[in-house]
Amino acid sequence: MPKVGIIKGVLAKDIEVVGDKVVNLRTCARPYRNMYSVAQLRALKNIIQKYGSGKVHLSPRHNLEIPEVRQKEIDNALKELYIAGLFPGGAGTSVRNIFTCPDWCSRQIRPVQEIGKMVSMRLGDKDMPNKVTISFAGCSNSCSRPHNSDIGVIAIGRVSVKDGSCPDGCDGCFKICKFDAIKKVNGTIRVNDNCIHCAQCVEVCGDDMLSIQEAGFRVLMGGKEGSSVMFGREYASFVDDFEVLEIIEKCLRNYGAKAGLRPESSRKKERLGEVIARLGLEAFMN
Amino acid sequence: MAGGILPGRIQNRVTLRVRSVEPYSSELTAEQVGVIADIAEKYGSGIVHVTPRQTVEIPDIEEAYVDDINILLNGSGLYTGSSGRHLRNVIACSRWCLYNAFPITDLALQLNRRYRDRILPGKTNISLSGCDFSCVRSRTSDIGVIARADIELTDKKCKKCSLCVKEPLGCQVDAINVSDDGVSIDTDRCIRCGFCSNICKPETIRVRLRSFDIFLGGCGGIKPREASYYKSISSEEEVLAVIDNVMSWYEELADEGERMRDVIARTGLEAVGG
Repeated sequence: MPKVGIIKGVLAKDIEVVGDKVVNLRTCARPYRNMYSVAQLRALKNIIQKYGSGKVHLSPRHNLEIPEVRQKEIDNALKELYIAGLFPGGAGTSVRNIFTCPDWCSRQIRPVQEIGKMVSMRLGDKDMPNKVTISFAGCSNSCSRPHNSDIGVIAIGRVSVKDGSCPDGCDGCFKICKFDAIKKVNGTIRVNDNCIHCAQCVEVCGDDMLSIQEAGFRVLMGGKEGSSVMFGREYASFVDDFEVLEIIEKCLRNYGAKAGLRPESSRKKERLGEVIARLGLEAFMN
Repeated sequence: MAGGILPGRIQNRVTLRVRSVEPYSSELTAEQVGVIADIAEKYGSGIVHVTPRQTVEIPDIEEAYVDDINILLNGSGLYTGSSGRHLRNVIACSRWCLYNAFPITDLALQLNRRYRDRILPGKTNISLSGCDFSCVRSRTSDIGVIARADIELTDKKCKKCSLCVKEPLGCQVDAINVSDDGVSIDTDRCIRCGFCSNICKPETIRVRLRSFDIFLGGCGGIKPREASYYKSISSEEEVLAVIDNVMSWYEELADEGERMRDVIARTGLEAVGG
């Protein structure tokens, strides 16, 4: 079982350094599939009462962090967690919890929960030069923050316009587009090159004039947020599920091989975005 | 849809987005975990989703039962909320993290209690980070706060335990040197995360001054943007006052649906004043 996820903790307010005696235990479901079951919640409740201090911190990457677990009881706590399908993880220089938006959101262009689960199974907690965040979004609303993840995958849709005319005065699609990508030209609707394929115009069209003719994934690389912000660069567009998996695996292989030490650091390796900034995206992926 | 009741994947079903306001907002108590489990089992489909804004979503709830469920939730300090054109759940990083210039969960809790679901021109995210690493993404939020701890060396003798530099934890920016002569700090490299002062038992390293950096106008979504640095302030009370001021400015100047990012693009940060 991976040892990552046991973060030695201290209550900063009391400045009481308990050092090795008490830990902050970060747990998550493996493989991660974006949800917890009732059984897992009930097991968690017992565990935090028995081994912790009756609280669980909700981490920003869907982990459940159990604070104040006594060091000598960790093995027992872990055993009970394993039975519930919860494991220490999602910490350190490794692949963190895979973010996906939930399948029950009505806006999704493609469901991403299953592909996220597959990536979690193959790559979750794998050792990396530095932390790696991978996020899947079912649409361009990007609730799972793919633009600021090491690898971001966004479901997109190519819009097609039906022959015929729209109802008089209807301007829903023009109003919703944030990129000036859809306009009326000589009486017909035209989609131009500004389009990012978010398909929000399709969603808002009440008259079936617009539809998605092709759906796929856009893959971004090199984003991060935290101590500094970088936005992912587009590597591929309109690729399907299996291509996405291949791209992710290749990306992480290259990252492992090409990451160096951060400038002026004796121990910290570059984040993926920093390697890509140094080499260029194409050279990085070759 | 209003107040944490989101359209579901099946007709007549909704997803409830649940947040905690008592006794904590970044943590759930054992009792609250039990209540959520019971609701998911009895009224939902046995699963929940933990969101990046420290709320829990329970899908597949029949609308007719929402009132009953609210009574169960409210009884243990839980409420539906954090959706739509409102102030969303104010999030904070863990107060048990060693890299912690300030236990900022208390501030998040105060904000959540004071402004819960306040109606604003657009969805608004406030994220409070205890240190520069900003795990809760203060640099890409509408209002981001990052706590800082300026540290100093005292005359207490360094015991050379080296916890301030020892891997895998220790100073992450090589700002500390422990040698036979004791400990020295490179303040140019220091990111003021407070780790060394938290871990130093003999108090050779101590916090000299705490402050908070405020960032405005960041966002994720379809057109993500990094926040702009706004100002630094020195006390919790001032943080609350500044956030109050910023929200008033936003309410006054924003068109319906605009995010802070859009208002800043139009008027500049100077218009925020204060």
